[in-house]
Amino acid sequence: MSRLLTYAQAINEALRQSMELCEDVVVLGQLVDYKSGIFGTTTGLVDRFGPDRVQDFPVSENLMTATAMGASLTGLRPVIVHQRLDFMLYSLDAITNWLALWRFKSNGHSNMPVTIRAIVGKRWGQGPQHSKSLHAWFAHLPGIRVAVPATADDVKGLLMESIFGETPAIFVEGRTLFSMTAHVPEQPYRVRFGQATIRRPGKDVTLVAIGVIVPLALRAAAALDKQGIDVEVLDPRTLSPLDVNTLCESVGKTRRLIVADHGWTSFGAAAEIIARIAEILGDNLRARPVRFCLPDSHTPMSMALEDQYYASDADLVSAIQKMF
Amino acid sequence: MATEPAVKSIQLSHRTITLIGRYQEMEIDLLDRQTLLFLFRQMLRLRRMEEALMQEYHPADEMRCPMHFCIGQEAVPAALSLLVEPEDYLFSHHRSHGYYFAKGSPLRELFAEVYGKETGANGGKAGSQDISHHASRFYSGAILSGAVSIAVGAAFGLQIRKSRNISIAGFGEGATDEGAFWEAANYAGLRRLPILFVCENNRYATYSDQLKRQPNDNICERVVTFGVRTRRIFGNDVVKAYLTLREEMARVRGGEGPGLVEAYTYRWNSHVGPEDDNVNNYRPASEIQFWKENCPIRLLQEKLEAAGYLDSQTLGRMEREIAAEIAANFQFAKESPFPSAGDWRAMNWDDSSPLADRLLGAQSRSEFDQSQPEARLEPY
Ligand SMILES: Cc1ncc(C[n+]2csc(CCOP(=O)(O)OP(=O)(O)O)c2C)c(N)n1
Ligand SMILES: [Mg+2]
Repeated sequence: MSRLLTYAQAINEALRQSMELCEDVVVLGQLVDYKSGIFGTTTGLVDRFGPDRVQDFPVSENLMTATAMGASLTGLRPVIVHQRLDFMLYSLDAITNWLALWRFKSNGHSNMPVTIRAIVGKRWGQGPQHSKSLHAWFAHLPGIRVAVPATADDVKGLLMESIFGETPAIFVEGRTLFSMTAHVPEQPYRVRFGQATIRRPGKDVTLVAIGVIVPLALRAAAALDKQGIDVEVLDPRTLSPLDVNTLCESVGKTRRLIVADHGWTSFGAAAEIIARIAEILGDNLRARPVRFCLPDSHTPMSMALEDQYYASDADLVSAIQKMF
Repeated sequence: MATEPAVKSIQLSHRTITLIGRYQEMEIDLLDRQTLLFLFRQMLRLRRMEEALMQEYHPADEMRCPMHFCIGQEAVPAALSLLVEPEDYLFSHHRSHGYYFAKGSPLRELFAEVYGKETGANGGKAGSQDISHHASRFYSGAILSGAVSIAVGAAFGLQIRKSRNISIAGFGEGATDEGAFWEAANYAGLRRLPILFVCENNRYATYSDQLKRQPNDNICERVVTFGVRTRRIFGNDVVKAYLTLREEMARVRGGEGPGLVEAYTYRWNSHVGPEDDNVNNYRPASEIQFWKENCPIRLLQEKLEAAGYLDSQTLGRMEREIAAEIAANFQFAKESPFPSAGDWRAMNWDDSSPLADRLLGAQSRSEFDQSQPEARLEPY
């Protein structure tokens, strides 16, 4: 049985079912135990599972991450959440110097199954300190998995897979996706890391769409269809690990690659994906690969500037047209 | 010597402590002979191990990792070693050997680890300053204060799980320069977590005096405002250290919330490695002399001898046993093979997920309606 749920409801359901399945699952984060519940993603959990397992946390992001890590050593499976990814940056030490290398440094004796949710703002004047999507930074780290789920069904399955996995994971959740719906199975289920999905099959060009870009990519593909360009939209779903096989299959067929990412252009996820393909299929491409990313600039507040900073459907359509 | 102030009569700090001259206040009557001898033996083991590692470091150059020795700071680890339970969690900083020892983690695996061998506690991936021994619940790391935060997390986990075990974090006064430390103190106090903070204040962070980094030598006064009990002791008095830690660990275990013990002590060796770092001229000779005269092992030894608990025969036997143990550890380390790299991915990521396999079904992906609007953010 599946029914339409929003992205936020799907997260909520993933957390609730995980906590029902296993009492080691706990949720920590600023304001997780209020009715508004992090845009609805944690609403009601405290009533169901009590204040021990659903805890408001001081505004101490570094300590929150370390707390989740230490707690995982005692057998808990913590999920922590940051209202904005920007706030999480106080925990870069905990993530980079400890969490990412914990398994390695222990010689495989000790894992830390910690799930970190980070929400990325977009528009309404979020500005440079409420809108950064640093998924590429985290995907650079050995020992961490990075998920960029775009749909309600994926976010539920990936979250549950992470909570019941053994390797820590960072979820980069685009806030603009939270109201979008998809059919979500009622049963607990998993979506595996490192398995891309083809959201729209096509034969002329592979459009890799990362996270929050997926809806925009699908709209652009629909528009191009009317012009006779058949776009294959590939959603990698996770950046670490990255499903290189599915990427190669797709680009091997279309022989054109554009990567659309909600991150800065330079040294980003798009660059990495293009490099991977270039190493394997570089000689077979019919067009030069394209990065379709944010400008190398911090996010402006003014709505007028936002409109220029964030790409529109038409921008993506024209970027793809230029490849032909 | 009668004119010199006793520790009891001064506010303990590194500025005042040398005024006491020779420390006279160790009260061995408070402990039985067996405990005293065990404390003595543990301190001696740790001292001899550190001396041997320093001795062997150069010119052999077979142990190629930064090592922060703890000669002069044996009292706290020795006391802890008698008090910590196997199921307790113990976290330490870069000066890890004393704490690894205190947790009863296998010493030969420490030796093999610093030789970079496969049989090391971490297969040669961590070395001295990052060593851990998961089976005995010992963890360390070189990033100052980072392990303190994780220790708080372990205490949180123990509290949620209603365990009677506790978490212990060992660190130097330098860790309290970090903001992370104060987040940890705040949260431990807020939630009354079962954690004992053990701060070995040896005055310096590398070469830098505490008072070049902090306005006052008053960690206890600051920590207590977070609702963490504090005790400040002369850390080379192993009897005092033992009794204080015993009391505080019992309180933490009994649900009375977090505590901190600040032990004033001193490292004799340089900050890192066996080389001398006196070229930086950061420690007055008189200060070094004070602390050597108040060597934790010597202070106890004199009392034990005076009480007739320790004679030269017993001491000689102890020394021989310890020397044999150290020799065996070196032999184990040297004879062990080097690791080979193998699978880099498996070293860093665990791609298995047995729990997910058991609990979760497979998914079938649904269609996504691209015509729906994206969420419009509200002011927050
Ligand atoms: C975050 C961080 N900054 C700097 C260092 C470099 N460093 C290594 S040891 C040390 C001094 C530590 O002093 P303390 O905490 O008092 O411990 P001690 O060495 O005296 O035992 C410093 C600054 C570090 N390891 N981590
Ligand atoms: Mg120090």
